[in-house]
Amino acid sequence: MTLPRPDVIGSYTVDGKMHFYGSRRTELDRAGVSMVRTLKSFNFDPGSVITNVSLTPEVVQFAPFEYAVQILGMYGTNADLSPFDAGRVESLSRQFDPVAMIGIGKETLEGLEMLGHDAKTVFRGRTVWARPDAYEAVKVLPEVDARRCVIAGPVLLLECARGKLHLDSREWIAESENDQLLLTSRQVRSEPLQRLATGVAAQVSEEACACGNHDMVIELL
Amino acid sequence: MASQTQTRWPDVLDPIEVASRAFLDSHQEASLAAMSRHAFYNAPLINEVWKKAGVSPDDIKSTADFKEKVPFITKDDIRDFRDRNGDPSGGMSVRIPGQTVSIGTTSGTTGDPTPVPNWRRMPSEESYSRDFWHIGARPGDHICHIMFTFRGGHRRRASQEMGLCEIAFSMSPTEIPRLIEASKIYRPVTMSIFPGPLILAMEHYFEKTGEDPVDVFKSYKGAVFGGEPLGERLKNLTKSWGLEVFETTSLGDVAGATHCRMHDGFHAYEDLAFIEAVDPVTAEPVPDGEVGELVVTTLVDRLSPLVRYRTGDLVIIDRTPCGCGRTHAKFNLLGRATDQILVEGRSILPREIMGLVENESETRASLFQIVRTGREMDELKLRIGYNKERMTGPDKELHDRLHGKIKEAIGVPLVVELVDEQELLKLGPPHKIPRVTKS
Repeated sequence: MTLPRPDVIGSYTVDGKMHFYGSRRTELDRAGVSMVRTLKSFNFDPGSVITNVSLTPEVVQFAPFEYAVQILGMYGTNADLSPFDAGRVESLSRQFDPVAMIGIGKETLEGLEMLGHDAKTVFRGRTVWARPDAYEAVKVLPEVDARRCVIAGPVLLLECARGKLHLDSREWIAESENDQLLLTSRQVRSEPLQRLATGVAAQVSEEACACGNHDMVIELL
Repeated sequence: MASQTQTRWPDVLDPIEVASRAFLDSHQEASLAAMSRHAFYNAPLINEVWKKAGVSPDDIKSTADFKEKVPFITKDDIRDFRDRNGDPSGGMSVRIPGQTVSIGTTSGTTGDPTPVPNWRRMPSEESYSRDFWHIGARPGDHICHIMFTFRGGHRRRASQEMGLCEIAFSMSPTEIPRLIEASKIYRPVTMSIFPGPLILAMEHYFEKTGEDPVDVFKSYKGAVFGGEPLGERLKNLTKSWGLEVFETTSLGDVAGATHCRMHDGFHAYEDLAFIEAVDPVTAEPVPDGEVGELVVTTLVDRLSPLVRYRTGDLVIIDRTPCGCGRTHAKFNLLGRATDQILVEGRSILPREIMGLVENESETRASLFQIVRTGREMDELKLRIGYNKERMTGPDKELHDRLHGKIKEAIGVPLVVELVDEQELLKLGPPHKIPRVTKS
């Protein structure tokens, strides 16, 4: 079979090395529809705002989330994952009072401090999906619903309202080998993957999640 | 991947680009009436300003009516509305369920980033699609997409709808090795946006690694340069790499405007925006060919219906058909009206200083600020950033050299203050510092 040509080339990082990774828009839309199942567990109101903090090359991982936000009738705002753009994160929090923020990383936290903003004020009252390097710092902030988001190769694992990380089961076969998450694509993709070692220490759970999303649960180690 | 084979692709992406002046004028007249009505009933600031001026959409039956009756708005009006009403958009952005897909934001160089609600395809995406096509991108090609200081998220689809595959990069010097790697793997045909700081970082990379820029860029049919004016040094540098650079600028926040292959002005697509020039002091109309402040009205953006928005940009508009074959207006950009200073009666804009600063090795990044304490000043005060690593002598030697060359070129009393360029870069957002400061 001739592989379809990608519409966009983003990237994923394993062991500190970035790899180009191409996707068709339909692949990203598919992932977005799947992500709706996790996002719905929070019951955010239509019309509310969610801020997405990510890098342009993270399009493959974060475009699906943006699409999920749109499907649910919410509005997305954006900032870069960088210390410089932490000022934008603060501004967006003040201007739009978003119900949630996703992709907060250590660069954001460092930038907020560098620019003299108080992370407690910026994140208070919101659901915040933090990256692994920022999760512990966000978790201790008062009145913040801290959640995890984890990039595993070209996939964004998203924590649901019941505290479980979900992976799109229709799209991916997940395995754990030597406690590392491996991904194999199940559907037609412009760049199929076969047992991609993601560098994420995790196991695959057999548990049915109480949030109602049937997608598989990934447990971080 | 090479372009798909087709006997002949059209010369322009959209036939409107070569429409007759008569058609453009008629189209604009109809669009102005429609947009006036929409803005009046949906944008609170427009509604307020028009009511105060005693104007209603029913009064706008022709382009002449529009130019005679419709009041201007300025960035100060938007900020004032924002502060009075707690509306981050300043009464200019409209969220329409089913049409608004996300909310982007401007660079925020001088304050809070301004919200820009995004439709499925933004006017700027439309204008840049036409520009990419003009540069030579065709279905099947790759292009490098480097997000500049605006933030619009990952929802972009315009390029793929043309059959182009975007390779996504951050705006960071750390991305240069990946940019070069991608250029060799995918052989893209264009890159947007390729700003000065990235060109300088690339120059440094080529010097350090010995990589051959001509080989890196051999598949490129052009690159879109934006953010600030393109100085002669960078123009010649990129030319030596075999790269034709197309300058771009914002068309008053309603679309992009980019040079064509003639490189003698920014094309303003007149189906996307209605443009005028007015005297910056009296607001009286200025004829084409004379310096005036650019005033724009969107003809397509229902989510940010800017109507008669005074941009603060000093321009010269030219509506004669362009040598590139397109019929739409183009304009030369002289600078920001608010950046202009008068020293001993001589008008000075940052664009003039840029070429003088970038020619010195230690200040080739052209990081400088005009210290503007008022529109009329007794002397020109410049703060210029230098790269410590490129210093070959004492600060005073560089100071005197810069002072001498700038004084000779500008011919007014001059004060030069040298600072480490890293200090200026902190004034960000990254890659774009305020060129004029009060202190």
